[in-house]
Amino acid sequence: MLTELESALTNFVTVYHKYSLEKGNAHALYRNDFKKMIEAECPQYMKKKSADAWFRELDINSDKAINFEEFLILVIKMGVLAHKESHK
Amino acid sequence: MPSLMECSINNVIKIFHQYSRQEAHTDRLNQNEFKELVQKELPNFLQKEGKENRNEAAIKEILEDLDTSGDKQLSFEEFAMLVAKLTEAAHEEMHKDGHRGHDHQHGKGFGESRGSCQSQGGQSQGGHSH
Repeated sequence: MLTELESALTNFVTVYHKYSLEKGNAHALYRNDFKKMIEAECPQYMKKKSADAWFRELDINSDKAINFEEFLILVIKMGVLAHKESHK
Repeated sequence: MPSLMECSINNVIKIFHQYSRQEAHTDRLNQNEFKELVQKELPNFLQKEGKENRNEAAIKEILEDLDTSGDKQLSFEEFAMLVAKLTEAAHEEMHKDGHRGHDHQHGKGFGESRGSCQSQGGQSQGGHSH
């Protein structure tokens, strides 16, 4: 049985696949998959930056898809922002 | 109601604070706090490579690796890199048991997921095929 922290990390994998398996490569979030994910999962992070702007920022190799490693950058960024918010 | 993503991020922050606030510098993990967090909160994720990964020296090494500021403590920003690395490891682990390819499947990975986010729209048990 996983701990709460381990479950949280496993949930990130679940969230990614929920959207990445919709079409094409199983480890690719295409622009509209990504938009769907960020609108549903992290609505408050789109207040300052649009889904398209996030996509461009995360698509480091410019292949027009967010792979799992690129998605982890979103997890780090969201975590760091949410942690800052928690102290406001 | 927060999404599965938001709930999980909130839990990571909550658990970080649960340990970071124990001793001085309440928003940073010192070596004792980090050791306790690793041993209590990451038993399944860090047991794979054997017990030696959880002993004093190994934990100190992980901390030093993450401590980019060199203050012998971990800020949340530094800790976040461990979160990413372990998530990547969990993902790899799921693919060891499952199969890659057209019928994308995950094996059980490090174990069954549970916790307060599970009701948040996300079934997260291992061993599922998509």
